[in-house]
Amino acid sequence: MAYYTVTGIVKRGIPVLLIAAIISTTSGQLLHARQELLIDFSVLLLLIPPLIKIGGDTGSILGARLSSAFHLGLADSVTSVVVTNSVLACLLIGCVSCVALSVVVWAAALLLDVEVVYVVLLKVTLIAGGIDMIVVFAATIGMASLAHRYGLDPDDVVIPIITSIGDIVGIASVFVAVSVVL
Amino acid sequence: MPERQDHLESYASVWGIVREALPFELVCTTGGVFAGIILVKMTDMIEMIPGLLVLVPAILGMRGNISCTLGSRLGSAVHLGLISKIERNPELINNVTGSLMLSLIMSIVLGVLAHLMTVAFGMPSAGILLLVLIAVISGVSSGVILSILAVVITIGAFKHGIDPDNVTTPAIGTLGDVVTMFTVFYTAKVVIWGWHIIQ
Repeated sequence: MAYYTVTGIVKRGIPVLLIAAIISTTSGQLLHARQELLIDFSVLLLLIPPLIKIGGDTGSILGARLSSAFHLGLADSVTSVVVTNSVLACLLIGCVSCVALSVVVWAAALLLDVEVVYVVLLKVTLIAGGIDMIVVFAATIGMASLAHRYGLDPDDVVIPIITSIGDIVGIASVFVAVSVVL
Repeated sequence: MPERQDHLESYASVWGIVREALPFELVCTTGGVFAGIILVKMTDMIEMIPGLLVLVPAILGMRGNISCTLGSRLGSAVHLGLISKIERNPELINNVTGSLMLSLIMSIVLGVLAHLMTVAFGMPSAGILLLVLIAVISGVSSGVILSILAVVITIGAFKHGIDPDNVTTPAIGTLGDVVTMFTVFYTAKVVIWGWHIIQ
């Protein structure tokens, strides 16, 4: 008898994937609703996939670190030094990645002949990335401490939900940033 | 407990975390730009197939979730000594079949969900059949490509004495978006081409 079975994998996967599917099709609706803006300023289409990845990735790193810290008993509350330092580190990683991303997207836009103004791109990336990370990190800390308190394994549930939240908040914050900057 | 204190300090130091995670995050982000480049090249198809843009984050998200869990399960299976060769290995076959089954089921769900939500929001949709078709073809084909990559990377890492946990999931996470956008792009192209033939 195999340790991993097809039905076991499918059964364990479906509930979380369903929740993620509902969140991610909602983020798709956000894109669809602003489709004309995205086609007019197509540099946004270039920016959105990697930008929403930064929120999801840094949130996942934070989530994984917090769940390990809680598991190992290195942190007992959300104000302990392990938590605050992890948050700071993830914020720093995210900000540096956003600046680097704006440069890469700018270069790609030039190569592809997509209209772009670097300062505007940098502002949109930083504002959107900043909002995305603040919301995602708050959600991550909340979910990790809840999962810890109720004895759930955070690894299975927290990461997929965090990446989906990162997508929806990331897309929404790009539109917020565009309306602030333009 | 001085030892524990030392460990805690290095584990929790801001610079320590940044040094370890930042280089990889930069590679990932740059990889993500390639997904963006494919999306920019799709603008005319996005206009032709209303609802296609709804599917994009949904399929990317599903692909990331299913393939990364496959990667981490394969890593655990290697550590447990369940997988040491590729041929006729039930653990390997079940893991890959399981994640392909999940991809098929979730692709259908995504197509249906994308259509229903688009209509509910009062926006135009290309229709449930077309959206399900695009989701299933791109979701399953990217699943096949990434499963093969996950297996090859896991076994390759194991054979070279590298911990697959450190390699497989990051590699799949980085390649996942690009491979998936690529399959969405070609699926949309094929579907539009098929549509013209039927018309």
